[in-house]
Amino acid sequence: MLTKEQKMKLYTNLVRVRKLDEIMVKGVLSGKVCGHWSSQKGQEAVGVGATTFLRKDDYIFFCHRGHGITTVIPKGISPRAFIAEHFSKNSGACQGMGCLHVADMEYGAPGLSGSLGGDFVLAAGMGIAAKMRAKGQVVVCIQGDGTYGRGTFHEAALMAANWKLPIVWGVENNQYMVFTPTSDIFPKENMADLAFGYGMPGVVVDGQDVVAVFEAFQTAIERARAGEGPSLIECKTYRIEPHTYGMVDKRCAGLRSPEEIEPWVKKDPVNLFQERLLKEGVLTQADVDRIDREAIEEMEEAERFATESPAPDPQILKQVLYWK
Amino acid sequence: MDLTKEQKIRLYTNLVRVRKLDETMVKALLTGKISTFFHSGEGQEAVGVGACSFLREDDYLFPSHRGHAISKTLIKGLPARIILAEHYGRITGCCDGVSGFHTCDMKLGIPGMSGTLGGHFPLAVGMGLAAQLRGKKQVVMVIEGEGTYARGTFHESMIMAATWKLPNLFIVENNQIMGNTPVKIIHPKDDFADLGFGYGVPAKVVDGQDVFAVHKEVQTAIDRARADEGPSLIECKTYRIQPHAVGLPDTLLGRPRTQEEIEVWRKRDPIKLAQKRLLKEGVLTQVDIEKIDGGAANEMEEADRLAWADPMPTDPKEILKKALYAE
Amino acid sequence: MREVRFIQAINEALLEEMKRDETVFIFGECVRGGTFPHTNGLFEKFGKDRVLDTSISENAIAGAAVGAALAGYRPIAELMFSDFFLIAGDEICNKAAKWRFTHGMKLKMPIVYMASTGGYIRSDSEHSQSVESLIMHTPGLRIAIPTTPYDAKGLLKTAIRDDDPVVYLYHKLLLTKKGEIPDEEYTIPFGLADVKKEGKDVTVVAVGFMVDLSLGVANKLQERGISVEVIDPRTLEPFDIDTIVTSVKKTKRVVIVDEDTLRCGVTGEIGMQIMEKAFDYLDAPIQRVAAANCPIPAGWYLEEHVLPQPPDIAAAILKVLGKDMDISDMKKEKVGFDAVKAFGDLGITKVKQN
Repeated sequence: MLTKEQKMKLYTNLVRVRKLDEIMVKGVLSGKVCGHWSSQKGQEAVGVGATTFLRKDDYIFFCHRGHGITTVIPKGISPRAFIAEHFSKNSGACQGMGCLHVADMEYGAPGLSGSLGGDFVLAAGMGIAAKMRAKGQVVVCIQGDGTYGRGTFHEAALMAANWKLPIVWGVENNQYMVFTPTSDIFPKENMADLAFGYGMPGVVVDGQDVVAVFEAFQTAIERARAGEGPSLIECKTYRIEPHTYGMVDKRCAGLRSPEEIEPWVKKDPVNLFQERLLKEGVLTQADVDRIDREAIEEMEEAERFATESPAPDPQILKQVLYWK
Repeated sequence: MDLTKEQKIRLYTNLVRVRKLDETMVKALLTGKISTFFHSGEGQEAVGVGACSFLREDDYLFPSHRGHAISKTLIKGLPARIILAEHYGRITGCCDGVSGFHTCDMKLGIPGMSGTLGGHFPLAVGMGLAAQLRGKKQVVMVIEGEGTYARGTFHESMIMAATWKLPNLFIVENNQIMGNTPVKIIHPKDDFADLGFGYGVPAKVVDGQDVFAVHKEVQTAIDRARADEGPSLIECKTYRIQPHAVGLPDTLLGRPRTQEEIEVWRKRDPIKLAQKRLLKEGVLTQVDIEKIDGGAANEMEEADRLAWADPMPTDPKEILKKALYAE
Repeated sequence: MREVRFIQAINEALLEEMKRDETVFIFGECVRGGTFPHTNGLFEKFGKDRVLDTSISENAIAGAAVGAALAGYRPIAELMFSDFFLIAGDEICNKAAKWRFTHGMKLKMPIVYMASTGGYIRSDSEHSQSVESLIMHTPGLRIAIPTTPYDAKGLLKTAIRDDDPVVYLYHKLLLTKKGEIPDEEYTIPFGLADVKKEGKDVTVVAVGFMVDLSLGVANKLQERGISVEVIDPRTLEPFDIDTIVTSVKKTKRVVIVDEDTLRCGVTGEIGMQIMEKAFDYLDAPIQRVAAANCPIPAGWYLEEHVLPQPPDIAAAILKVLGKDMDISDMKKEKVGFDAVKAFGDLGITKVKQN
């Protein structure tokens, strides 16, 4: 059971991530974001539920959608470092070199693979390290539904299951792989069914319900910390925004219909949780307004910091290749 | 559907032919006629023979490297002389002697052998797609060792084949040893067939020493594939009698393999099992058995003699000039 | 000093480094004892937590090495054949090589990717390739190719201690080669070429197994009055161009020999670097000897027409010298890889002869 404080924390993180998403959209429109922005609006409950209560020394891998905001922000990376990285400033998490590839090993966030599916096998390796170190660390690897089609998942899942590595595989199934509905490219309804072949637990959970996500991950994480091996959790969610911000919102060759999106807007994870907490008396409307205001202030301050930071010195390119 | 007497005899005869060719190739290796290596498939013949004996000529087949695929390619129709000639580097080989042991004959639906294990899966899916487009009810069979099923290419290919309901058959020839590693220490579950569930693909485990059992399961899957019902996964449990390659140290995890384990499986030799059954059923007599044995021995001896006498290329450089592009 | 085989030198380096640093571990297909027995004995000594057998999953082996390195370990990923680097291209060339850069130079990537390399074994086009050109071409990967037991041990120890990804290639035909190594601990720094034979008439820069072939040719030419200097770069990244330039200033003539494909191969890169740094000292155009622009055939009569051969090296040397000479005694390399003999010689595993 979650305490009142824990519920407040989950809610606050949902709001913080939503506000950061909005700041990033503004950053794209004002030309400050180097590259693109793949909004994760409406999918926040997955990452927030999975990572808010991780230990600092746990490892996380995240999918490209949202460039990791729903996981790296709850894990502890500052919005300043996140935004500055996207603005390609030297105060960014990767000194402005990575843009959407946000990484900070202090928070167990080793980065983002440029090729989708590249992270699975890396996660397996971090699982080996965590098991060897025997400090109870876990690796949480959340990837999109499309990415689970990569063979790297099969190889990593076999390795993790065979050696009982402390890994939780999360599927953030937003039902779209760019313009293609996932149902067109995967033979079964539930990707969690893949778990059976490897002999690990596989569960399906409502990805709009941050508490349900949290509970599923918590069970898997405890299992992993106890040395009982990996699990697979599929979170059913939906992509509200186009593939990347500003892109034509297609479904296959045609356009996606607003009727399809509408029911999912009603299942917004922030609103759902807010209603629940108001009803439970955990939050008052005053709390809701305060949390909203504080999150906006935090993100606006971070945006100003990033805007004012200097660009990286090109001299840096002379020392990029090797450690020494 | 029950097998006819003729079909049973054909399965048995094919088992014996494959064994004799395997023996011929071991001898060829030890006498230096094969210049590289030979991965004997002794004791595993029932998998290939059971799966391939009744394939159509226009079906496609991707065989594993074990036994250099003879339990599949010989059965699919590639003459022993051509298989041997290829190993001997003769121009009469199926690839003009260029390939060493990478058998290929598109007329028989054998597109080649991947040098990297697991390379076949996506290729087979592509051929499955072609077969589906062509609409002639061809099937595509991949037979790979269990170790190979760990490759990510399998996962990617299964998703594709299952989503598009392609006429593919994925057969696991589980001989329990990957190189020098027992497969039970590298795979998390007992049955590779369990992998089928995640893709919604029917999967079966079958006794890989029993040629009739293998045939029955495979035939069901072939019928499904020809009826456009999609791919199947069949795991045949068998055992590798010989070392990874003939002449290599026979070790497991760096230590010599115990003979006791091998002996247990020798008792379940697929030829002996089939023979016993057919004698009991009255399909074969002892005389028939000797006749089949002698026939297969003669076939392989003659193939060997002819292949060895076949010519080498007179100008290797001419072959290499044509190596890269079609024109 | 004592005499050991190449494969034992590798084995000793692994043993010593795993003992010295408990974050070093090795994994791959059949590493407890397998195709190439250089990992034998490690399992008995370090147990299943540090000597791990994997399934056939090159992506996972190469990628898990990156993950373990990111998490503070020093993995050695054994890929068996360098051809399989192509399977794991994403993990090796995109992750290991580039992630430090992509993520702001804060990540350490202490990985060794090791595999056998090269042909002359009449295997096939996917088990005989040399991949040094591909690796040298990729920014962010170091590459060491030892040619003697001494170098094999010293370079591997350096590779394991290096904080960046190192590709370490051992040629199949060198595994049984004997040579002397010191009893005491030593390492060999990267980026330091070794003059394997001094000479004054022509400089031969040879990579990997080509050093052995070139030395054979050099010794035969010595008898007829041609003095060949043979230089082994040992590491292609970092690359010691200075030692080569010094030699070129002395001999004024260069032949570069490599087993990888000629086109876009390391011979071209090395040759161009010499042009840039020592053009004024050259008395003849540089000659290159490398594999033909063709996959490596498995058929036993074809391989010798694709891979570089001693007569090719001799002819190139005579060409830069402007000499004509009978070299019919230079034999083609046709030894093949006799696994039974090689492993039997090592005495590591009991060989069952049929």
